[in-house]
Amino acid sequence: MSARYVNRELSWIAFNERVLTEAENPQVPLLERLKFLSIVSTNFDEFFMVRVAGLWSQVRSGASASCPTGMSPREQLSQVLAAVRRLDQRRYRVYRDELLPALAKHGIRHTKASDWTAQQRLFLRSHFSEQIFPLLTPLRIGAERSGDSVGNLLLHVAFQLDGPEPGFAMVRVPQSLDRIVYLPNDDQDAVCFAFLEEVIIEHAAALFPGYSIGEAGVFRVTRDADFAVDEERDDFVEAMTQVVETRDRSNVVRLNVNAGSHAIRSRLVELFELDDERVFETPDPLEMKHLMALSAIDGYAELRDEPWPAQSSAFVDEDEPVWDSVRRRDVMLYHPYERFDPVVRLIQEAADDPSTLAVKMTLYRTSGDSPIIAALERAAHNGVQVTAFVELKARFDEQRNIGWARRLEQAGVIVAYGIAGLKVHAKALLVVRRSATNGVERIVHVGTGNYHDKTARLYTDIGLLTMSPKISHEAALFFNAITGHSVIPQLETLIMAPTAMKTRVLDLIARETARAKSQAPASITAKINSLADTDVIDALYQASQAGVRIELNIRGICMLLPGVPGLSENIQVVSVIDRYLEHARVFVFGNGGNPEVYIASADWMQRNLEKRVELMTPIEDPQIRRRIQKDLRLFFSDTSKAHHMQPDGSWQRADGEPSVRSQYEQYQRLASRVPGSKTESRHEFKVRRKPPVH
Amino acid sequence: MDQHIIAVIDIGSSAIRMVVAEVADNGSWRTLERAIKPLSLGRDVFLRGYLRNDAIRDAIRILDGFRELLAGWQIEPASVRVIATAAIREAKNRDAFVDRVSVQTGFSIDVVEGIEENHLTYVAVQHAISQLRPQFSRSSAAILEVGGGTTEIMLLSRGRMVGAHSLRIGTLRIAQNLQSPIGQPDYDRIEEYLRENIRVNKRVLDAELPLDRIKHFVAVGGDARVAAKHVGRKEADMFSVIERHDFDRFLAELTQRSLDEAVAELSLTYSEAEGLAPALMTYKMFLDVTSATQLIVPDVSIREGVFLSVASGRQTPLQRDFSRQVVNSAIGLGRKFHFDEAHARHVATLATSLFDQTVDIHGMDERARVLLEVAGFVHDIGNYIRSSGHHKHGQYIVENSEIFGLSRNDIRIVGNVVRYHRRSSPNSAHAGYVSLTRDERTLVLKLCALVRVADSLDRSHTQRIKSAEVERREEDLVIRCEHAGDISTEQFALKTKGRMFTEVFGYEVIAL
Repeated sequence: MSARYVNRELSWIAFNERVLTEAENPQVPLLERLKFLSIVSTNFDEFFMVRVAGLWSQVRSGASASCPTGMSPREQLSQVLAAVRRLDQRRYRVYRDELLPALAKHGIRHTKASDWTAQQRLFLRSHFSEQIFPLLTPLRIGAERSGDSVGNLLLHVAFQLDGPEPGFAMVRVPQSLDRIVYLPNDDQDAVCFAFLEEVIIEHAAALFPGYSIGEAGVFRVTRDADFAVDEERDDFVEAMTQVVETRDRSNVVRLNVNAGSHAIRSRLVELFELDDERVFETPDPLEMKHLMALSAIDGYAELRDEPWPAQSSAFVDEDEPVWDSVRRRDVMLYHPYERFDPVVRLIQEAADDPSTLAVKMTLYRTSGDSPIIAALERAAHNGVQVTAFVELKARFDEQRNIGWARRLEQAGVIVAYGIAGLKVHAKALLVVRRSATNGVERIVHVGTGNYHDKTARLYTDIGLLTMSPKISHEAALFFNAITGHSVIPQLETLIMAPTAMKTRVLDLIARETARAKSQAPASITAKINSLADTDVIDALYQASQAGVRIELNIRGICMLLPGVPGLSENIQVVSVIDRYLEHARVFVFGNGGNPEVYIASADWMQRNLEKRVELMTPIEDPQIRRRIQKDLRLFFSDTSKAHHMQPDGSWQRADGEPSVRSQYEQYQRLASRVPGSKTESRHEFKVRRKPPVH
Repeated sequence: MDQHIIAVIDIGSSAIRMVVAEVADNGSWRTLERAIKPLSLGRDVFLRGYLRNDAIRDAIRILDGFRELLAGWQIEPASVRVIATAAIREAKNRDAFVDRVSVQTGFSIDVVEGIEENHLTYVAVQHAISQLRPQFSRSSAAILEVGGGTTEIMLLSRGRMVGAHSLRIGTLRIAQNLQSPIGQPDYDRIEEYLRENIRVNKRVLDAELPLDRIKHFVAVGGDARVAAKHVGRKEADMFSVIERHDFDRFLAELTQRSLDEAVAELSLTYSEAEGLAPALMTYKMFLDVTSATQLIVPDVSIREGVFLSVASGRQTPLQRDFSRQVVNSAIGLGRKFHFDEAHARHVATLATSLFDQTVDIHGMDERARVLLEVAGFVHDIGNYIRSSGHHKHGQYIVENSEIFGLSRNDIRIVGNVVRYHRRSSPNSAHAGYVSLTRDERTLVLKLCALVRVADSLDRSHTQRIKSAEVERREEDLVIRCEHAGDISTEQFALKTKGRMFTEVFGYEVIAL
């Protein structure tokens, strides 16, 4: 039997390979290529902590096939590790052979210790002794010392010492300092930089007086983070804090160590009790995360993407409260092409509006200094009832979330910290107000992305602002359920996971299948980040076989095989990797010529559909439905940043004339709107005057 | 239009529910928020008679959560109507519960009587199926609500309420009495139990209205709504209709399934699934003795009834219809005891006519007027037992009957009015009177004064005084009667029976 699914981990790696092609792509501006390289590198950190760690523990426990492809954990692991090593080589090749030389050509020079000028040495000596040295704590790697003190993903330098008591020692590279150290130089047009660990190595003699230093090598361990919080505990915030701490002591799943440091390598292997499969000999710089900081260097506009300034929505009038715009009609916001502002402004206006009764919202990932948090605090302060549902289990953001959740609580916000056994991933905001003229009014924002003002500039997401009575009523019920005031409601308009969403998606696919069987035109277009639920995939295969035309725009994992004769010949899968991270989730079902359009917080993955609280929202406004369909078409005509999945599971970059770059086209679409269209839906002038004085 | 936000909390046998709605002056409303938290208070009470401590704690925790939600609407607990039904009503420690809730959450619980539940349900149903009213006014109908602790039933003949009862049959009681040790419920035993319990009641109901003449069968309640969701069709905004054969098939299939299957296939909680079949069997038991071909399932509950009764101004059509049904129910009671209907109706008419003309003298409200009309209809009901002392027999009959829409207290007041519509005035030796509150005693006196005058005006039981017009002359209240023939019997009777009016209101009553 030929293959029916693609292994999930390998598909994820293939996605990162696609990202890497942007780092390798000479058409991409240089500093942007650096960014892509940094992104791929950090992606793999999480991948090791969670997925590779998971595979290792399956191997350990002797679990049999856990993968719908039938691959055993051992087979998966071997293929995954081989692929990672292949990609590592490509990462360092492009960095060393292409990016560094090209940067140097533009005057951005990585200067090795051996090339430091006297002036630079002088500067670094004082920089080291004043800024770095006080933060360093050398530790001897004695026979009795275990590796537990080496924290997850923290860069360390190890030294081989010769002297009275020969042996090994290490220091942690301080996280509080910038890892890119800019060096003084005489050439006004050039920028020279070194990495912090290089400075430390060069000045190591000061750390170990009386010893001479043999080998020096940079290393870092990646630890297992694939464990869950104890849901039964009452002190949930405390338990969550412990999870974060445990992550620093758990099993090592990867050791990256500088190639060439043989003595150090073997000492570390011994220390962490590792086999070869977990050891990765890595060139400098061992960690590429900080290339992101380098890409943000001042100036060099010519080495970056031309700016695509975010547009104001044509349907939100900046001179009036957001309410008034939304009262006229539903508003769709397509970020980052369109500004996130209206959402932030809605909360800010609610905070200062005496007729506001309540603000409720989910917060999955956000930044502590986000204007949303500030607006919520102010609203609570002004006597508005503010309820925030904070998901503490947002992986790797736990610590951050605990911090600002406590801050919200102190401001008088009612904070709910999650639901036992489920993550709340839905993005929803509800504002309730009551005025003499309009009675009780509710406005809802639902979206495909987090309430995070920063990622809203990098991720493509769709948000909907609506005062639809059905949606706002059900949003209220949704909040009552997730804050524990009520049982999970039976909703008619909104579709909620884990209770109803999977069934509904399967039903909608089946409905198209049935149409196709009766020779009626049937189609499904979906944009998701990942497709990994085999029930959904099987339903799509059936639909394809019945003749449903299926177009999938999937950024990341895709376990479905498209275009396989007899299985999926009517399915097309396109992945777009460009400047913005494609993040919106949109489903369109043909419904016999009367398309149903949904936006959702969930991907078609078992995790989303069965283990998370998610929302899928129908678009009621026909104009927005048409707009979304039109925008979706772009991805399938992209000939520049699109990758097409092949029947064998491999990916091929699209090319063709004319060159179409979907994200650019989308930007153009919104940027080129005639300025006058902004007020097209205005029916009267808004006259400002002072209130009459009696 | 002025709008206000009202919240209603209902502490039921298996859950605590809250509805928040925005209500306009004309009585229309829009639901803003709902919350439901399951809590099986009924299970304890129906098995052991009292609420367990941890159940009370859970209830308080839930109410605390609701208080938080209500704060979002700027509603204070004190202004929320909180009603509790059978589970709390029957709990031996209900007073302690009501007090703890009040102290710890600020909500003051109103424990409603079974018959009052009937009233609230009726109001909600009328609202939901208002468009069916023409059909209802032409034939007979039954409204049935199967709950955890009680089953409420109302019988309507040509739109008139002829009987209203609160039966102690409920899904939780069934579960309690017939708990099978393991696994599958024993539906045969449940059916037998229901048949036994319903047979007793059926006779009483049949006397009020031959059940086989019932054409419209209204099934109220969450279980009926589950059935409607699966095999019914939505006929209008607020109700669905289930064909009788579809209902029967649904129930038959349900009893073939295990509870686990029911939970999965109907997406219910376990406790919902447990009560579903017994509830539907109860509906069926009643349905089978009627000639209805379908079930009408309104999308409302007792909570909407509370809204309507709280929200609707005094004189909305709904309120008038409701008062009419209270009186209809009283007439039904009178007929059961073979009262002199013409006399009763005449006294009721004269009494309310006097009431309307002397509002500035007596200062009583609409509610009192309904009680007066009811008392007018049933004042002589004791004649069924014996003419001598019929006011005492009447009180006994009234106080041991159910009149739709009247609470236990209302019934006691009517009973006392019947008791004192003739012969001696109340005195401190009369235990039944002394046990009333001060306000209630005053109300009884005022109503008696009016009933006595009205009764005098038909002393001969011949309705020769067609109408009475009141005219005030200094200290006298002159009643100008439009009459046929001699009214000296009436004038004479008024001399004695009018005395109470003079004592209570200070006016001498003269009929001309």
